[in-house]
Amino acid sequence: MNLTSELALIIFTAGAVAGALGVALGLGGGIFLVPFLTLALGFPLKSAAAISLSTVIATSSAVSARRAGNQLINLRVGMVLEVATTAGSLLGGITAQYVAESTLQRLFGIVAMAVALVMAGRINRRNVIADPTADAGRLGGRFYEEESGGVVTYRVKRLPLALVASFIAGNVSSLLGIGGGIIKVPVLNAWCGMPLRAAAATSALMIGVTATGGAIIYYGHGDLRPLLAAPAVLGVQAGSWAGSRFAEQASVKWLKLLMAVLLIIVAVLMFVRSMR
Amino acid sequence: MTNERRTNERRTNERRAPFNSANGTAHLEVMIGEVLRFGTIASSGLFAIGLLMALAGYRVALAQMLLEAALIVLLVTPAARVVVSIIEYVRERDWLFVALTLVVLAALGGSVVAAYYR
Repeated sequence: MNLTSELALIIFTAGAVAGALGVALGLGGGIFLVPFLTLALGFPLKSAAAISLSTVIATSSAVSARRAGNQLINLRVGMVLEVATTAGSLLGGITAQYVAESTLQRLFGIVAMAVALVMAGRINRRNVIADPTADAGRLGGRFYEEESGGVVTYRVKRLPLALVASFIAGNVSSLLGIGGGIIKVPVLNAWCGMPLRAAAATSALMIGVTATGGAIIYYGHGDLRPLLAAPAVLGVQAGSWAGSRFAEQASVKWLKLLMAVLLIIVAVLMFVRSMR
Repeated sequence: MTNERRTNERRTNERRAPFNSANGTAHLEVMIGEVLRFGTIASSGLFAIGLLMALAGYRVALAQMLLEAALIVLLVTPAARVVVSIIEYVRERDWLFVALTLVVLAALGGSVVAAYYR
């Protein structure tokens, strides 16, 4: 496929929109970019996934570089769960060559739908302890929360569940070209005790390494073309930069609701695609 | 731009002020931030220059090389972040996290092997 200026501009714009939405929701943006590249531009899924993975890495690096220092990222939880996400992404990258596309799409649709329902059902829940001196445990954390205007503490529960979710997230990341935050963030938030912002920031750090595992394999197999990745990466960078401003003002409640709605739309799109 | 950045830095310091990190994690977080910032700027810069040259049809071979370099920098950045973490955990003698981050690096190595094995 040749890259014209028009195509470059379209990919750049799609990347910008995906990046803005992605960072506002604590996702990589791939969840919006992959459907656009495959459904609207007719890219093969492997190529779309590979391009998307490169934007996921770029978003992860840029967003985490901006956030580093404000202790929203839980490094310890991130390092532990990365063991599972990278193992999952290595396996996913290898199996991506063999698994039927329609099967994956249906599986993805089911997962996205389930996560959306969980998210919608827990919109008003908070996981933080409003006491800065409370014991956070070995993996817990504390950070300054904008809404309450104080330092809050949280504990991390059910680590095995978080590891399983991270492995699946890593697997899906490689196979479908998304960051995997779509699976990790709701699980960490709903069942493992992490506040949404901490879960999203930690996931955003993890998806860089996770996506790299998959992207290296696509690159080696010639599915990741730098010329097509360039406008997507630059677009996503621009979009996520703009989106991070919006995300600080948006309320967590609305972010959760928006995330649930978007997941349902993606699920429906995936089902429709798998029927063809 | 510069003013905005200064405001952000001040906000970051205010956030950190009310409490102390229980371990060396804050230091590692800042180092990781530097690695990621450098990787982001380098790869985005190379992508932008390479893309503009390719679209303008100016020295296309060089443009291709810049784009390949941009992609490689992009892929190496998260791996470099893991390496920095390993070094820091070794310095802290936190062997559990040395082991965990080594496994992550090994998985990335596995991807490199899988990339060449068809």
